[in-house]
Amino acid sequence: MAFATVLIDGNNFYASCEAALDPALIGRPLVVLSNNDGCIVARSAEARALGIAMGVPYFQVRRQLERQGVVVRSSNYALYADMSQRLMATLEPWVEELEVYSIDEAFGRLHRPAGAGPGKGSRGGDLSAWGLALRRQVRRHLGLPVAVGIAGSKTLAKVANRLAKQNPIQQGVFDLGAVPDPDPWLEQVPVEEVWGIGRKLSRWCRLRGVATARQLRDLPSGELRARCGVVGLRLQQDLRGHSCLLLQSVVPAKQETCVSRSFSEPVTSLAALREAIATYLSRAAEKLRRQRQRTGTVTVFVRSSPFNGTSLYANAATTTLPLASNDTAVLLAAALPLAERLFKPHKPLQKAGVLLQNLQPVEQLQHHLLVPLPPEQQQRREALMATIDGLNRRYGRGTVQWAACGLRPAWAMKRERLSRSATTRPADLPVVWAD
Amino acid sequence: MRLPLVTESVAAGFPSPADDYVEAGIDLNEHLIARPSSTFFLRVSGDSMTDAGIHHGDLLIVDRSVEPRPGRIVVAAVEGAFTLKRLVRHQGRLRLEAAHAAYPPLELSDADDTRLWGVAIHVIHPL
Repeated sequence: MAFATVLIDGNNFYASCEAALDPALIGRPLVVLSNNDGCIVARSAEARALGIAMGVPYFQVRRQLERQGVVVRSSNYALYADMSQRLMATLEPWVEELEVYSIDEAFGRLHRPAGAGPGKGSRGGDLSAWGLALRRQVRRHLGLPVAVGIAGSKTLAKVANRLAKQNPIQQGVFDLGAVPDPDPWLEQVPVEEVWGIGRKLSRWCRLRGVATARQLRDLPSGELRARCGVVGLRLQQDLRGHSCLLLQSVVPAKQETCVSRSFSEPVTSLAALREAIATYLSRAAEKLRRQRQRTGTVTVFVRSSPFNGTSLYANAATTTLPLASNDTAVLLAAALPLAERLFKPHKPLQKAGVLLQNLQPVEQLQHHLLVPLPPEQQQRREALMATIDGLNRRYGRGTVQWAACGLRPAWAMKRERLSRSATTRPADLPVVWAD
Repeated sequence: MRLPLVTESVAAGFPSPADDYVEAGIDLNEHLIARPSSTFFLRVSGDSMTDAGIHHGDLLIVDRSVEPRPGRIVVAAVEGAFTLKRLVRHQGRLRLEAAHAAYPPLELSDADDTRLWGVAIHVIHPL
């Protein structure tokens, strides 16, 4: 029995999430901005039709967008994360195995042939009907448009997904595994667009006369393997229809956790830097506790703006903890002195972050010969952390936080055009009119 | 945080006869919402639907996966806003009717008409 691999991803995901909960946005040109309202990271179909480019800095096109009547929104991650969870929960019954790949993409595996509908079988090798039914259900249940690519491997499923989007006649679904001849389709895809081919590798390909996915597939495997080893070989096997990249539905434990953000305005005082590092560290410690891990080292890094005239200042400092920990107070005590060391009075900072490495599962605790660890105190601290996390989960992020994080910092992410978090905050619920 | 209802503390000596019968507390989420992924909450504004038991300020629970059937209260996404309508069958076709006769009914093109946003399944009304 053959398997098919599918890639389902949201079209213009951030923009689509905004419109799903706000009917005033339906049919209107809409763009969503990145952190600090920096660049355009998502455009609705109508905004695309107006020729607005992706990735363009907002300040450059602000007037033009106003003139064209384009709605502008800041990234509302609370909304997108919630919609993403709903999307993945909706997809799950449709496939035998699901791998959540990103906030709006998932790979799935299912038996071929299959009929329309989750898991039900019927004769016929073409899964297009299945894909159309899935698309229709996601549209109905969530208001999100998705594209479905179906093929024999992950890399080909990505290609199929792109072809589904590229060819409107496909209605958002394309089964590459069911076409009589995949060659003319693979010919349509430039080599840069193949999953796993980055800028350098695509240059290397072009120099060898490989311009499309099809030509990459047909390149003698020795050449590609010599250039990028087994990774290249797997990619090529995938393109040839021999699925080499398997689905990862069980996520391996993280090796490191990082929280870093750029500042909405340059940080010029040590006090502000301490606030920022304390904030990022609290968040990282929260993640650690949720991942059920402790960290053995803490690294703080800072960077000045690469866009200024002045030379770039980038620096980092690391400290090792005598005992691995995920207690925010312990980590703060380790990180804040590092921040002080890194701060230079005449070098305004544009970005900073914390990196936690040498992560260990909580079940494993190595004792230190010279540092005593009274178990009762340890338990009390853990209970305190759990209580704080519980309160923040229940009443909203930042309900309880360390004083070191600062109350309303000027450097905090600028999001001036935030929509309401309509699915996660009771105060932000959409209104339905009865009149 | 959900904790099971337990009638004895671990350290106590005398076991409770109820131990074997402990049940979980009632969770409204589980009780009212069959399909969390497609269920959304909306806030009602206006009182044209009080006859249907829906009042101004109520919390409306809408499940977008529920099959829209004639007679049900639905949320429509029309002219940039969510409004409450009743789904009716009229001369063989489905249409959305407003509570006030002043508003014309909306003929639905087909079952996938995106103006039909979702079916209301519960209303939570504080007394």
